[in-house]
Amino acid sequence: MANSEHTSKQFDADLEDIRSRVLQMGGLVEIQLTTVIEGLATGGEDIISRVIETERRVNNYEKEIDDACVHVVARRQPAASDLRLIMSVSKIVTDLERMGDEAEKIARMARSIYGRGALTIPRSIDLRQAGNKAAMILRRVLDAKARLDTAEAEKVIAEGKLIDTEFRGILRQLITYMMEDPRTITTALDIVWIAKSIERVGDHAENIAEQVIYIVDGIDIRHTGLPPAPAPEESA
Amino acid sequence: MANVTLQAASTVKPPLAPQAQLVIRNFNFYYGGFHALKNINMDIYKGRVTAFIGPSGCGKSTLLRTLNRMYSLYPEQRAEGELLLDGKNLLDSDLDLNDLRARIGMVFQKPTPFPMSIYDNIAFGVRLHEKMSRGQMDERVEWALQRAALWNEVKDKLNQSGMSLSGGQQQRLCIARGIAVKPEILLLDEPTSALDPISTLRIEELIHDLKKDFTIVIVTHNMQQAARVSDYTAYMYLGEVVEFDLTDTLFIKPKKKETEDYITGRFG
Amino acid sequence: MELHKKRKLINNIALALSLAAMSFGLFWLAWILITILQLGIAGLSVAVFTQMTPPPGSAGGLANAIFGSFVMVGLATLIGTPVGILAGVYLAEYGRSTVLGHVTRFINDILLSAPSIVIGLFVYAAVVVPMGKFSGFAGVLALALLVMPVVIRTTENMLRLVPDSLREAAAALGAPKWVMILQVTVRASQAGIITGVLLAVARIAGETAPLMFTALSNQFWSTALTEPMANLPMTIFRFAMSPFKDWQELAWAGVLLITMGVLILNIAARTLFKQKITS
Repeated sequence: MANSEHTSKQFDADLEDIRSRVLQMGGLVEIQLTTVIEGLATGGEDIISRVIETERRVNNYEKEIDDACVHVVARRQPAASDLRLIMSVSKIVTDLERMGDEAEKIARMARSIYGRGALTIPRSIDLRQAGNKAAMILRRVLDAKARLDTAEAEKVIAEGKLIDTEFRGILRQLITYMMEDPRTITTALDIVWIAKSIERVGDHAENIAEQVIYIVDGIDIRHTGLPPAPAPEESA
Repeated sequence: MANVTLQAASTVKPPLAPQAQLVIRNFNFYYGGFHALKNINMDIYKGRVTAFIGPSGCGKSTLLRTLNRMYSLYPEQRAEGELLLDGKNLLDSDLDLNDLRARIGMVFQKPTPFPMSIYDNIAFGVRLHEKMSRGQMDERVEWALQRAALWNEVKDKLNQSGMSLSGGQQQRLCIARGIAVKPEILLLDEPTSALDPISTLRIEELIHDLKKDFTIVIVTHNMQQAARVSDYTAYMYLGEVVEFDLTDTLFIKPKKKETEDYITGRFG
Repeated sequence: MELHKKRKLINNIALALSLAAMSFGLFWLAWILITILQLGIAGLSVAVFTQMTPPPGSAGGLANAIFGSFVMVGLATLIGTPVGILAGVYLAEYGRSTVLGHVTRFINDILLSAPSIVIGLFVYAAVVVPMGKFSGFAGVLALALLVMPVVIRTTENMLRLVPDSLREAAAALGAPKWVMILQVTVRASQAGIITGVLLAVARIAGETAPLMFTALSNQFWSTALTEPMANLPMTIFRFAMSPFKDWQELAWAGVLLITMGVLILNIAARTLFKQKITS
């Protein structure tokens, strides 16, 4: 679809630039995530501060890409697939930036847990599993975005639900900890926040997957889910 | 993902300190008793595309046509002020108009191929200003047609009449004819208003390509076109320049309310 | 529905009226052509092109008259065309809104609509009387005076049809005015100008009145422009009016020749003009 060239090479260059910067930004967020999840296990202060540091760059990307989108709209009046791409990119970068925020939040939580002198984090295996899954989903949705692969995007949406399940599992286990020993409540609550953040990352990945489907097929599946059959046009 | 770096934005590149090629100062223009352009002050930057936009009758075409003194063809038209090209005032009476027009070329609204072959259409202007051998002329004609993205379509029929081409091709022929003289500045007076959308896009792409070698000034009644092709835009109204700025700035956050109203379609 | 029927009716009436008018005109035209063809072909023979105009009662042709017509029309065109084109260029390119331009245009319009007999009388008074005799030269002059206004008018009109944007385009490339006129505007209106010349030639080919007072006619082969010169229209005039049967036949043959010549010129002019316009 958007692969054939425009008469205006500058327009092509602009769009290509936006696409590749979205992927760069996604890569950066992915690195943030994997780094912070690794940091959960070790509690390395350098790792954690690196994540917080990267967050600034992610924020910059968001602003720059949005700005580029505004310029394309103002100067090129994009239509059809180009228009969907630009509108979606503008939303995707918001999701990516939120993911970056979640990664930063996880890092701050980890810092405060280790700051209280904990040697390890309880249930860190489960957290790592959920976290890796979230990172993996992010990678796959970025792939789907790069290849405009709607089948992959649909799979990502399905797997996002699995993270929700894992989040509830972690929550149940933490409740038992807290009931056994009230002294763990502070730490357990921090861990709940971490798990919640991981779950949010999955949600954002799902949002991006929905945008990929919108870019390719022009169907908005937010809140309604995939239509049963390839939807005939005319959405009143 | 190791190559993730913050890159400088490459889509929008307001050139730092562009060099002014044509300086317009305190410029006024009259059609007989009618004061058509009022106190224009503006710089046309080298190697950039400058667009004049505005409603019909705002003076944008008039301003363009003063830049190569086209108005001198008509005795009742008169200009005052300064149009400085390399420090020389183009309004000076001792100026050689034919030399000026070799330096500042122009392409018109309707394609105007001369009633001669495609080859001679290009060679016409060159012969007026340069003496060259047949071989050199062949090269120049090819160069101009290449530059105007027309060579591939006409290389086998250079001896056919220029009138036999389609509208879009004719307009590119006129652009080729203009650049064959190797001017410093190319003036385009609504160059695509008589063309279909595809031909229009091709001309726009051509403009983008040509600014590497020429300073371009374009008048267009289509502000989206100005947004697409230009680096600088001047919004004109009732013979005055209301706002002149980087195209990006003018189309995203204009400083004046009049400009905003016009480009958002709240005009009138 | 009523209105629709009414409109259709009116339309049909209008159509019928115009068809009637057209057939009325065509009827006479066809009759003229048929008569000319019938009588002309009867008088046509090789002798028409090879022999001199005869005295009454003996065989002969129109050779001297055909030759004389060719010479006078040719010379008149050669003189009238350049003057006419140059004047037309002046009117269209330089003198558009000058006083001289307006005056010239006005006088030319008068010349254009002046009856040709007036031109003949003028040349008679200006040339024939002082010279003391009729001459081919005087005939050439009279015909040239008839060619000029036609050529001036068509040249100016054709040049005016060239859009000003083409002039501006040439000027924008730094072309001096004379280059622009020679290489662009005149070239663009070439076909129209040539058409004008052809039509002017067609017009003078059949003129009788101006020759009556100038070249008169000549019974013999004469190439001297200072002497009266034979020509087709005058010969036709004299022969047709005569009571002699063989003269009358020759006159019809001459009429056929002139008609064909004018027809060919007209067709040539039309095809040339159409070709250029469509290309």
